[in-house]
Amino acid sequence: MGAPSAAPAGTPKPLGRRPWVLGLLLALLGVGVFFSPLLGTVAIAPETVLRILLHQVSGGALYSNPCAGASVPASGCTGLIEIVWDARLSEIMLAVVVGAGLGISGGTLQGVFRNPLADPFLLGISSGGTLGAAVVVVFRIGVGEENLLLPLFAFIGAIATGAVILAAARSRFGSVETLLLTGVALSSFLSSVLSLLLLYNPTGSLQVDFWLLGNLGSLDWTQDGIAFGVVLVAGTLLATYGRELNILQLGPDVAQSLGVDSRKVRVRLLLLASVTTAAAVAFTGIIGFVGLVSPHVVRRVAGNDYRLVLPGAALVGGGFLLAARDLALIAFPGTLLPIGIFTSFAGAPFFAYLLYRRRHVSSMGGS
Amino acid sequence: MHLPDSPLTPAPPRRTVPLAWFVVVVIVAAGFSVVVGAVIYAVRPGPAAGPLSVTDDLGRHVSVSIDPAHVVVLGPSIMDSMFRLGLRSHVVGVDCYAPSLGGLSSDYSPDQVRNWNLSASMCVQTGPTFDVEQLLALAPQLVLATTIVSVAAVEQITQTYHIPVVMLQPATLTGVVLDDQLLGEIFNVPSATTALVNALQSALFQAASLQNNLTTNGTPFPTVLVTYSVDGNGYWTFGPGTFGQSLIELASGASISANSTLPYPELSGEQVLASDPEYLVYGTGYGLNESAYSSGPFWSQLSAPQDGQAVGMNSNYFTEPDPTMILMGLPQLIAILHPGLSA
Repeated sequence: MGAPSAAPAGTPKPLGRRPWVLGLLLALLGVGVFFSPLLGTVAIAPETVLRILLHQVSGGALYSNPCAGASVPASGCTGLIEIVWDARLSEIMLAVVVGAGLGISGGTLQGVFRNPLADPFLLGISSGGTLGAAVVVVFRIGVGEENLLLPLFAFIGAIATGAVILAAARSRFGSVETLLLTGVALSSFLSSVLSLLLLYNPTGSLQVDFWLLGNLGSLDWTQDGIAFGVVLVAGTLLATYGRELNILQLGPDVAQSLGVDSRKVRVRLLLLASVTTAAAVAFTGIIGFVGLVSPHVVRRVAGNDYRLVLPGAALVGGGFLLAARDLALIAFPGTLLPIGIFTSFAGAPFFAYLLYRRRHVSSMGGS
Repeated sequence: MHLPDSPLTPAPPRRTVPLAWFVVVVIVAAGFSVVVGAVIYAVRPGPAAGPLSVTDDLGRHVSVSIDPAHVVVLGPSIMDSMFRLGLRSHVVGVDCYAPSLGGLSSDYSPDQVRNWNLSASMCVQTGPTFDVEQLLALAPQLVLATTIVSVAAVEQITQTYHIPVVMLQPATLTGVVLDDQLLGEIFNVPSATTALVNALQSALFQAASLQNNLTTNGTPFPTVLVTYSVDGNGYWTFGPGTFGQSLIELASGASISANSTLPYPELSGEQVLASDPEYLVYGTGYGLNESAYSSGPFWSQLSAPQDGQAVGMNSNYFTEPDPTMILMGLPQLIAILHPGLSA
């Protein structure tokens, strides 16, 4: 649907829907998921990786000996299968799930705050998650069950922080600006508490670095399943609010006149975005810029309609995180580095570009 | 204007549940996913029970097989014990930093690499991220780890890949002896264990005797700052409850950081100047030498450097809780702090 050439003042920007973009993004993500297992820190021949994947997917019906002819390490074929299927593929699936969660949360928050620079970590949710994980490490809670308790406490910490934001949103002072500033203040406060805790347990900082730098490693299928469940529930609900988000862009008064209770919708969207972000933070720590960048990419190719932006941001987010993982392994072969470094490396220039573009458009008097 | 698909169209009244119910439903749904996952995790089978059950330094109960042939060691302090117990041939992998960021040399000194015959092919990346792929490729029957590895990663190794992990992170010198006894039990090397433990206990006994004599005679312990790193703000040292503090006490020294509220504090130049310790013992190696420390705050105004009582000591002798600390570090620190006795 093209925009009218001389739109009257006050006419909203055309939404410019291009639904086919979602299909394209989904296809690209599928290609990424298919080829990503070829990359890892241990060198395995591509044909062996593919045989192992087919062997596993078919329940062992295909390629009864998937390692035949391959250079098998000390761990034997079982070890290769564990590397490809358990270590590598579970990491890839988590990248997709977490990236999707962060992407759709970012798109939602940008819509709620009507601010293209908003992202899931702006509200302090990630700081709350990191603090929750640090509590387990510093106070040595549940020795022997850290693999379960760390993400659980991180989730609780993130949700608790989200609850504070929600309370602020529901109050009569819950303007967009107040919420943003509350998030920034909370984030700083929680980071300070975290630093204080780590002073008393420096060895714990190693483990907390996992959350601060963002990481896809040290995961398994159970954690994938938990993250998938939470992101699926909250993300699907978020995606149903595209229409309301479109209307929110017109301002609370217009939204009210169109039958949308902006405060109520805002609270619900913040809740869902908090839950989605918390699930991501709980397992991977702080992975910056995915939530910021992904919605903008979708807007560039599919238009401004939040009915497309939200699912599109989920697909781009999953693809972005997967691409960051793969590019990191290509750039530093044989080395596993925290994924958050690479998403920031790619995201920061994009952030600067956005700032520049906004200023440029403003100075040109553009809309 | 009629745009059937426009956002300006009044939204059809959404059949919404009350807000409170909405919040509850979302949280319950998300929580349900977490709980289901947690239950699945909890009921998964752990590693197969081995014939030997041990309790590690974190209080974890681990079943291990006796005398495992392929072991990955994640921490130089454990590697030191393995070497001294004659178990080097069992070690198929060791910790290292990211290969492109230093690799083996980040965790092990050149002497250790040479003496212990370590090679890059043994690397299991533990920093900045733990790489489980490299560990799996080595197919260890047992992993011995310090807290250089995230405990969560350790649990994953145990639960997902059924590889037993024993954590060895002693907080005192006595704990070092106990850990070596534990290793001797796991690898069933009684004679080597007895020899090593006797040597360790002998060194500890001599230190304790000196301590008793000085206390009985009413001789005050010399004040000392043992520092392993320096920067523009001050000197990094050991606080209460650490193996470093245990070393200083056994060497009959009075650490100026004994009352610190932090386990590994950085003492400011002002604090060090105010305490003005009789001895400064600084760690060398890993790029640090006397000139690095002499550029620290107030160094030249302290009494110890002026009195010739600022002494360098190999960092490997006191920054890892291992047999070398007791057999080399402890006697050397005693010799520094009590020169009359060793003369």
